[in-house]
Amino acid sequence: MAAMNMNQEQFKQLIREEKPVLVDFWAPWCSYCRRIGPAYEKIGEEYADSLAVGKINIDEEPRLARAEGIEDIPTLVLYRNGKAVDSIIAPGSKAEIDRFIQEALAK
Amino acid sequence: MNNNHVYDMLVVGGGPGGYTAALYAARAGLDTIVLEKLSAGGQMALTEQIDNYPGFEDGIDGFSLAEKMQKQAERFGARSEYVEVLRMDLTAVPKLVETSEGIFLGKTVVLATGANPRKLGVARESELVGRGVAYCAACDGMFYKGKTVVVVGGGNSAAADALLLSRVAKKVILVHRRDTLRATKIYHEPLTQAENVEFRWNSVVSALLSGDRLTGVRLRDTVTGEESVVDCDGVFVSVGRQPATALAVGQLELDGGGYIVAGETTETSIPGVYAVGDVRTKPLRQVVTAVADGAVAVHMAEKYIAENR
Repeated sequence: MAAMNMNQEQFKQLIREEKPVLVDFWAPWCSYCRRIGPAYEKIGEEYADSLAVGKINIDEEPRLARAEGIEDIPTLVLYRNGKAVDSIIAPGSKAEIDRFIQEALAK
Repeated sequence: MNNNHVYDMLVVGGGPGGYTAALYAARAGLDTIVLEKLSAGGQMALTEQIDNYPGFEDGIDGFSLAEKMQKQAERFGARSEYVEVLRMDLTAVPKLVETSEGIFLGKTVVLATGANPRKLGVARESELVGRGVAYCAACDGMFYKGKTVVVVGGGNSAAADALLLSRVAKKVILVHRRDTLRATKIYHEPLTQAENVEFRWNSVVSALLSGDRLTGVRLRDTVTGEESVVDCDGVFVSVGRQPATALAVGQLELDGGGYIVAGETTETSIPGVYAVGDVRTKPLRQVVTAVADGAVAVHMAEKYIAENR
Protein backbone atom coordinates (compact mmCIF):
# COMPACT_ATOMS: atom_id res chain seq x y z
CA MET A 1 0.00 0.00 0.00
CA ALA A 2 1.32 3.41 -0.88
CA ALA A 3 2.08 5.71 2.04
CA MET A 4 -1.00 7.85 2.71
CA ASN A 5 -0.72 11.62 2.89
CA MET A 6 -2.41 12.59 6.16
CA ASN A 7 -3.88 15.70 7.69
CA GLN A 8 -3.95 16.44 11.41
CA GLU A 9 -7.26 14.66 12.09
CA GLN A 10 -6.28 11.52 10.20
CA PHE A 11 -2.96 11.50 12.02
CA LYS A 12 -4.54 11.88 15.46
CA GLN A 13 -6.98 9.09 14.75
CA LEU A 14 -4.43 6.73 13.20
CA ILE A 15 -1.87 6.91 16.02
CA ARG A 16 -4.57 5.93 18.55
CA GLU A 17 -5.19 2.66 16.77
CA GLU A 18 -3.54 -0.59 17.75
CA LYS A 19 -1.12 -0.85 14.86
CA PRO A 20 2.10 1.17 15.22
CA VAL A 21 2.37 4.05 12.76
CA LEU A 22 5.38 5.23 10.81
CA VAL A 23 5.16 8.85 9.67
CA ASP A 24 7.40 10.67 7.21
CA PHE A 25 7.40 14.43 7.79
CA TRP A 26 8.32 15.97 4.45
CA ALA A 27 7.80 18.93 2.13
CA PRO A 28 7.63 19.19 -1.65
CA TRP A 29 10.66 21.53 -1.85
CA CYS A 30 12.92 19.17 0.10
CA SER A 31 15.02 17.25 -2.39
CA TYR A 32 16.28 14.72 0.13
CA CYS A 33 12.64 13.95 0.99
CA ARG A 34 12.11 13.01 -2.63
CA ARG A 35 15.20 10.82 -2.51
CA ILE A 36 13.86 8.66 0.29
CA GLY A 37 10.44 8.49 -1.41
CA PRO A 38 10.90 5.28 -3.45
CA ALA A 39 12.45 3.40 -0.51
CA TYR A 40 9.68 4.68 1.77
CA GLU A 41 6.98 3.38 -0.58
CA LYS A 42 8.73 0.00 -0.58
CA ILE A 43 8.79 0.06 3.25
CA GLY A 44 5.05 0.72 3.18
CA GLU A 45 4.53 -2.44 1.13
CA GLU A 46 6.95 -4.63 3.07
CA TYR A 47 5.64 -3.69 6.53
CA ALA A 48 1.95 -3.59 5.54
CA ASP A 49 1.12 -6.29 8.11
CA SER A 50 2.84 -4.73 11.09
CA LEU A 51 2.78 -0.97 10.46
CA ALA A 52 0.55 1.77 9.15
CA VAL A 53 2.71 4.01 6.98
CA GLY A 54 1.84 7.63 6.33
CA LYS A 55 3.25 10.98 5.30
CA ILE A 56 2.69 14.50 6.53
CA ASN A 57 3.46 17.50 4.36
CA ILE A 58 4.77 20.07 6.86
CA ASP A 59 3.79 22.95 4.56
CA GLU A 60 0.16 21.83 4.77
CA GLU A 61 0.33 20.94 8.47
CA PRO A 62 2.80 23.42 10.00
CA ARG A 63 1.13 23.43 13.44
CA LEU A 64 1.16 19.65 13.63
CA ALA A 65 4.83 19.55 12.60
CA ARG A 66 5.68 22.09 15.33
CA ALA A 67 3.63 20.23 17.90
CA GLU A 68 5.52 17.04 17.05
CA GLY A 69 8.85 18.86 17.41
CA ILE A 70 9.89 18.48 13.79
CA GLU A 71 12.86 20.78 13.10
CA ASP A 72 14.36 19.03 10.10
CA ILE A 73 13.02 17.04 7.24
CA PRO A 74 12.81 14.33 6.26
CA THR A 75 12.13 13.05 9.78
CA LEU A 76 10.59 9.61 10.22
CA VAL A 77 8.76 9.04 13.51
CA LEU A 78 7.40 5.75 14.78
CA TYR A 79 4.30 6.07 16.98
CA ARG A 80 2.77 3.41 19.21
CA ASN A 81 -0.28 3.82 21.46
CA GLY A 82 -0.48 7.47 20.51
CA LYS A 83 3.09 8.28 21.51
CA ALA A 84 6.29 8.84 19.55
CA VAL A 85 8.65 5.91 20.25
CA ASP A 86 11.65 7.05 18.24
CA SER A 87 12.65 9.15 15.25
CA ILE A 88 15.34 9.32 12.59
CA ILE A 89 16.44 12.30 10.50
CA ALA A 90 17.43 11.92 6.84
CA PRO A 91 18.22 8.18 6.77
CA GLY A 92 20.99 7.33 4.32
CA SER A 93 19.65 4.06 2.96
CA LYS A 94 16.59 1.83 2.91
CA ALA A 95 18.52 -0.56 5.14
CA GLU A 96 18.92 2.24 7.71
CA ILE A 97 15.13 2.76 7.72
CA ASP A 98 14.69 -1.01 8.16
CA ARG A 99 17.05 -1.01 11.15
CA PHE A 100 15.30 2.02 12.66
CA ILE A 101 11.88 0.35 12.40
CA GLN A 102 13.09 -2.93 13.88
CA GLU A 103 14.80 -1.19 16.81
CA ALA A 104 11.83 1.11 17.45
CA LEU A 105 9.37 -1.80 17.34
CA ALA A 106 11.49 -3.70 19.85
CA LYS A 107 11.41 -0.81 22.35
CA MET B 1 17.88 -13.11 -2.50
CA ASN B 2 20.11 -16.02 -1.48
CA ASN B 3 19.93 -18.09 -4.62
CA ASN B 4 22.55 -19.13 -7.09
CA HIS B 5 21.46 -16.85 -9.87
CA VAL B 6 24.48 -15.33 -11.59
CA TYR B 7 23.86 -11.99 -13.26
CA ASP B 8 25.93 -10.91 -16.22
CA MET B 9 26.41 -7.56 -14.52
CA LEU B 10 25.99 -6.22 -11.00
CA VAL B 11 25.89 -2.45 -10.93
CA VAL B 12 26.66 -1.03 -7.48
CA GLY B 13 25.13 2.44 -7.21
CA GLY B 14 22.18 3.96 -9.02
CA GLY B 15 23.49 7.35 -10.08
CA PRO B 16 23.83 8.50 -13.69
CA GLY B 17 26.91 6.30 -14.31
CA GLY B 18 25.26 3.23 -12.84
CA TYR B 19 21.96 3.56 -14.67
CA THR B 20 23.67 4.29 -17.97
CA ALA B 21 25.69 1.11 -17.54
CA ALA B 22 22.41 -0.69 -16.78
CA LEU B 23 20.79 0.82 -19.89
CA TYR B 24 23.61 -0.19 -22.20
CA ALA B 25 23.92 -3.62 -20.59
CA ALA B 26 20.21 -4.35 -20.80
CA ARG B 27 20.14 -3.24 -24.43
CA ALA B 28 23.10 -5.53 -25.11
CA GLY B 29 21.07 -8.41 -23.72
CA LEU B 30 23.02 -8.69 -20.47
CA ASP B 31 21.15 -9.82 -17.37
CA THR B 32 21.66 -6.76 -15.18
CA ILE B 33 20.71 -5.55 -11.73
CA VAL B 34 21.35 -2.20 -10.07
CA LEU B 35 21.99 -2.30 -6.31
CA GLU B 36 21.08 1.08 -4.86
CA LYS B 37 20.86 1.99 -1.19
CA LEU B 38 18.16 4.64 -1.41
CA SER B 39 16.92 5.86 -4.78
CA ALA B 40 18.19 6.61 -8.23
CA GLY B 41 20.43 9.57 -8.87
CA GLY B 42 23.17 9.69 -6.28
CA GLN B 43 24.48 13.22 -5.73
CA MET B 44 22.64 14.35 -8.85
CA ALA B 45 19.29 13.65 -7.17
CA LEU B 46 19.99 16.46 -4.73
CA THR B 47 20.79 18.98 -7.44
CA GLU B 48 17.99 21.46 -7.84
CA GLN B 49 18.67 22.34 -11.43
CA ILE B 50 21.01 20.77 -13.97
CA ASP B 51 21.73 23.08 -16.87
CA ASN B 52 24.77 21.42 -18.39
CA TYR B 53 23.35 18.04 -19.36
CA PRO B 54 22.65 18.27 -23.08
CA GLY B 55 19.13 17.75 -24.36
CA PHE B 56 17.28 19.66 -21.64
CA GLU B 57 17.31 23.22 -22.95
CA ASP B 58 15.41 24.59 -19.93
CA GLY B 59 17.41 22.53 -17.45
CA ILE B 60 16.02 19.67 -15.37
CA ASP B 61 16.08 18.86 -11.67
CA GLY B 62 18.43 16.05 -10.74
CA PHE B 63 15.82 13.82 -9.13
CA SER B 64 13.63 13.83 -12.22
CA LEU B 65 16.59 13.15 -14.49
CA ALA B 66 17.55 10.21 -12.26
CA GLU B 67 14.03 8.79 -12.42
CA LYS B 68 14.11 9.05 -16.20
CA MET B 69 17.45 7.23 -16.36
CA GLN B 70 16.14 4.48 -14.11
CA LYS B 71 12.92 4.04 -16.09
CA GLN B 72 14.85 4.03 -19.35
CA ALA B 73 17.16 1.25 -18.14
CA GLU B 74 14.21 -0.71 -16.73
CA ARG B 75 12.33 -0.39 -20.01
CA PHE B 76 14.98 -2.68 -21.51
CA GLY B 77 14.87 -5.16 -18.67
CA ALA B 78 17.40 -3.92 -16.11
CA ARG B 79 16.27 -4.48 -12.53
CA SER B 80 16.77 -2.40 -9.37
CA GLU B 81 17.00 -3.43 -5.73
CA TYR B 82 17.12 -1.05 -2.76
CA VAL B 83 19.86 -2.69 -0.77
CA GLU B 84 22.92 -1.62 1.16
CA VAL B 85 26.15 -3.29 0.08
CA LEU B 86 28.03 -4.69 3.07
CA ARG B 87 30.93 -6.60 1.53
CA MET B 88 32.31 -7.47 -1.89
CA ASP B 89 34.55 -10.26 -3.12
CA LEU B 90 35.63 -9.00 -6.51
CA THR B 91 38.14 -11.72 -7.36
CA ALA B 92 35.74 -14.60 -6.63
CA VAL B 93 34.21 -16.50 -9.55
CA PRO B 94 31.47 -15.45 -9.93
CA LYS B 95 32.02 -12.10 -8.24
CA LEU B 96 30.11 -11.72 -4.98
CA VAL B 97 28.32 -8.74 -3.47
CA GLU B 98 26.81 -9.22 -0.02
CA THR B 99 23.99 -6.84 0.85
CA SER B 100 21.41 -6.08 3.53
CA GLU B 101 19.02 -8.30 1.54
CA GLY B 102 21.34 -11.18 0.78
CA ILE B 103 24.05 -12.16 -1.67
CA PHE B 104 24.19 -11.22 -5.34
CA LEU B 105 26.47 -12.95 -7.82
CA GLY B 106 27.73 -11.53 -11.10
CA LYS B 107 30.14 -12.25 -13.93
CA THR B 108 31.08 -8.57 -13.94
CA VAL B 109 30.73 -5.72 -11.46
CA VAL B 110 30.36 -2.04 -12.29
CA LEU B 111 31.23 0.17 -9.33
CA ALA B 112 29.24 3.39 -9.56
CA THR B 113 29.27 4.26 -5.89
CA GLY B 114 30.01 7.95 -6.43
CA ALA B 115 31.13 10.34 -3.75
CA ASN B 116 29.72 11.99 -0.63
CA PRO B 117 30.18 15.45 0.85
CA ARG B 118 33.45 15.85 2.68
CA LYS B 119 33.11 16.87 6.31
CA LEU B 120 34.80 19.81 8.01
CA GLY B 121 36.45 17.50 10.48
CA VAL B 122 35.82 19.61 13.59
CA ALA B 123 34.42 18.54 16.94
CA ARG B 124 30.65 18.02 17.35
CA GLU B 125 30.10 18.19 13.59
CA SER B 126 28.17 14.92 13.35
CA GLU B 127 25.93 15.53 16.34
CA LEU B 128 24.97 18.99 15.01
CA VAL B 129 23.82 17.67 11.64
CA GLY B 130 20.20 18.70 11.37
CA ARG B 131 20.70 21.19 14.20
CA GLY B 132 22.56 23.85 12.30
CA VAL B 133 25.11 21.85 10.32
CA ALA B 134 24.05 21.00 6.76
CA TYR B 135 25.65 19.73 3.57
CA CYS B 136 22.95 20.54 1.04
CA ALA B 137 21.65 24.08 0.60
CA ALA B 138 19.00 22.95 -1.87
CA CYS B 139 17.68 20.54 0.77
CA ASP B 140 17.91 22.49 3.99
CA GLY B 141 18.13 26.11 2.85
CA MET B 142 14.45 26.84 3.43
CA PHE B 143 14.87 26.28 7.16
CA TYR B 144 17.11 29.33 7.27
CA LYS B 145 14.66 31.83 5.88
CA GLY B 146 15.50 35.25 7.33
CA LYS B 147 18.45 33.84 9.29
CA THR B 148 22.24 34.16 9.15
CA VAL B 149 24.22 31.32 7.60
CA VAL B 150 27.85 30.54 6.96
CA VAL B 151 28.87 28.71 3.79
CA VAL B 152 32.27 27.01 3.91
CA GLY B 153 34.15 26.41 0.66
CA GLY B 154 35.22 28.16 -2.51
CA GLY B 155 34.36 25.83 -5.38
CA ASN B 156 31.35 25.71 -7.68
CA SER B 157 29.04 24.00 -5.24
CA ALA B 158 29.95 26.40 -2.43
CA ALA B 159 29.31 29.35 -4.74
CA ALA B 160 26.01 27.88 -5.93
CA ASP B 161 24.98 27.19 -2.32
CA ALA B 162 25.88 30.74 -1.26
CA LEU B 163 23.85 32.18 -4.14
CA LEU B 164 20.85 30.01 -3.39
CA LEU B 165 21.02 30.87 0.30
CA SER B 166 21.38 34.59 -0.44
CA ARG B 167 17.86 34.46 -1.85
CA VAL B 168 16.49 32.86 1.33
CA ALA B 169 18.61 33.90 4.29
CA LYS B 170 19.01 37.35 5.79
CA LYS B 171 22.79 37.16 5.55
CA VAL B 172 25.30 34.75 4.03
CA ILE B 173 28.94 34.67 5.10
CA LEU B 174 31.16 32.76 2.70
CA VAL B 175 34.23 31.37 4.42
CA HIS B 176 37.08 30.22 2.19
CA ARG B 177 40.62 29.18 3.04
CA ARG B 178 42.12 31.01 0.05
CA ASP B 179 41.88 34.68 -0.97
CA THR B 180 39.81 34.07 -4.09
CA LEU B 181 37.06 31.72 -5.23
CA ARG B 182 37.95 28.58 -7.16
CA ALA B 183 34.41 28.58 -8.60
CA THR B 184 33.96 29.35 -12.31
CA LYS B 185 33.58 33.00 -13.29
CA ILE B 186 29.82 32.90 -13.83
CA TYR B 187 29.33 32.80 -10.05
CA HIS B 188 31.63 35.69 -9.15
CA GLU B 189 29.53 38.63 -10.27
CA PRO B 190 26.15 37.61 -8.82
CA LEU B 191 27.87 36.75 -5.55
CA THR B 192 29.82 39.98 -5.21
CA GLN B 193 26.75 41.97 -6.20
CA ALA B 194 24.43 40.28 -3.73
CA GLU B 195 23.99 42.78 -0.91
CA ASN B 196 23.65 40.19 1.81
CA VAL B 197 26.74 38.12 0.96
CA GLU B 198 29.91 38.78 2.93
CA PHE B 199 33.29 37.12 2.29
CA ARG B 200 35.78 35.91 4.88
CA TRP B 201 38.93 35.09 2.93
CA ASN B 202 41.93 33.09 4.19
CA SER B 203 39.76 31.60 6.89
CA VAL B 204 38.91 28.15 8.14
CA VAL B 205 36.33 26.97 10.66
CA SER B 206 38.24 25.90 13.76
CA ALA B 207 35.23 25.16 15.99
CA LEU B 208 31.47 24.91 15.98
CA LEU B 209 29.81 26.83 18.80
CA SER B 210 26.60 25.38 20.14
CA GLY B 211 24.14 24.85 22.90
CA ASP B 212 21.34 22.53 21.87
CA ARG B 213 21.97 23.66 18.36
CA LEU B 214 24.55 25.63 16.43
CA THR B 215 24.96 29.24 17.55
CA GLY B 216 28.08 30.23 15.64
CA VAL B 217 31.48 29.26 14.32
CA ARG B 218 34.98 30.13 15.33
CA LEU B 219 37.20 31.10 12.42
CA ARG B 220 40.96 31.01 12.20
CA ASP B 221 42.77 33.35 9.83
CA THR B 222 45.19 31.15 7.86
CA VAL B 223 47.65 34.05 7.41
CA THR B 224 47.74 35.70 10.84
CA GLY B 225 46.46 32.78 12.93
CA GLU B 226 43.98 35.13 14.61
CA GLU B 227 40.73 33.66 15.79
CA SER B 228 37.31 35.28 15.64
CA VAL B 229 33.71 34.29 16.35
CA VAL B 230 30.87 34.61 13.85
CA ASP B 231 27.34 34.23 15.18
CA CYS B 232 25.10 32.26 12.82
CA ASP B 233 22.10 29.95 12.76
CA GLY B 234 23.47 27.51 10.24
CA VAL B 235 26.66 26.40 8.56
CA PHE B 236 26.56 24.83 5.11
CA VAL B 237 29.62 22.72 4.46
CA SER B 238 30.67 22.59 0.83
CA VAL B 239 34.31 21.61 0.92
CA GLY B 240 34.40 18.95 -1.74
CA ARG B 241 33.63 15.29 -2.07
CA GLN B 242 34.93 12.02 -0.79
CA PRO B 243 34.69 8.88 -2.95
CA ALA B 244 32.58 6.05 -1.54
CA THR B 245 35.26 3.39 -1.82
CA ALA B 246 35.50 1.99 1.72
CA LEU B 247 34.35 -1.44 0.50
CA ALA B 248 37.00 -1.54 -2.23
CA VAL B 249 39.94 -0.91 0.11
CA GLY B 250 42.37 -3.82 -0.02
CA GLN B 251 40.89 -5.19 -3.24
CA LEU B 252 41.24 -2.48 -5.86
CA GLU B 253 44.00 -0.02 -6.57
CA LEU B 254 43.00 3.40 -5.19
CA ASP B 255 44.75 6.73 -5.58
CA GLY B 256 45.79 9.03 -2.73
CA GLY B 257 42.35 10.63 -2.58
CA GLY B 258 40.66 7.24 -2.31
CA TYR B 259 39.39 7.19 -5.91
CA ILE B 260 39.46 3.90 -7.83
CA VAL B 261 42.31 3.96 -10.34
CA ALA B 262 40.79 3.43 -13.80
CA GLY B 263 41.35 5.10 -17.14
CA GLU B 264 38.99 5.89 -20.00
CA THR B 265 38.24 2.17 -20.42
CA THR B 266 36.92 2.17 -16.81
CA GLU B 267 38.87 -1.06 -16.24
CA THR B 268 40.16 -1.41 -12.67
CA SER B 269 43.03 -3.47 -11.30
CA ILE B 270 40.72 -6.52 -11.22
CA PRO B 271 39.53 -7.98 -14.57
CA GLY B 272 35.75 -7.79 -14.98
CA VAL B 273 35.43 -4.94 -12.47
CA TYR B 274 34.78 -1.46 -13.82
CA ALA B 275 34.65 1.94 -12.11
CA VAL B 276 32.34 4.58 -13.55
CA GLY B 277 31.44 8.14 -12.66
CA ASP B 278 32.76 10.19 -9.75
CA VAL B 279 34.35 7.21 -8.03
CA ARG B 280 36.96 6.83 -10.81
CA THR B 281 40.19 8.80 -11.22
CA LYS B 282 39.33 11.39 -13.87
CA PRO B 283 39.83 15.07 -14.63
CA LEU B 284 36.17 16.17 -14.71
CA ARG B 285 33.36 14.84 -12.52
CA GLN B 286 30.07 15.70 -14.16
CA VAL B 287 26.83 13.90 -15.04
CA VAL B 288 27.84 13.90 -18.68
CA THR B 289 31.20 12.22 -18.00
CA ALA B 290 29.59 9.70 -15.64
CA VAL B 291 27.10 8.53 -18.27
CA ALA B 292 29.90 8.20 -20.83
CA ASP B 293 31.76 5.94 -18.39
CA GLY B 294 28.67 3.77 -18.00
CA ALA B 295 28.51 3.11 -21.73
CA VAL B 296 32.24 2.36 -21.99
CA ALA B 297 32.12 -0.05 -19.03
CA VAL B 298 29.48 -2.16 -20.75
CA HIS B 299 31.52 -2.24 -23.96
CA MET B 300 34.49 -3.58 -21.98
CA ALA B 301 32.33 -5.98 -19.96
CA GLU B 302 30.83 -7.54 -23.08
CA LYS B 303 34.34 -8.29 -24.29
CA TYR B 304 35.31 -9.71 -20.92
CA ILE B 305 32.24 -11.95 -20.74
CA ALA B 306 32.85 -13.24 -24.28
CA GLU B 307 36.48 -14.06 -23.46
CA ASN B 308 35.67 -15.76 -20.14
CA ARG B 309 32.88 -18.10 -21.13
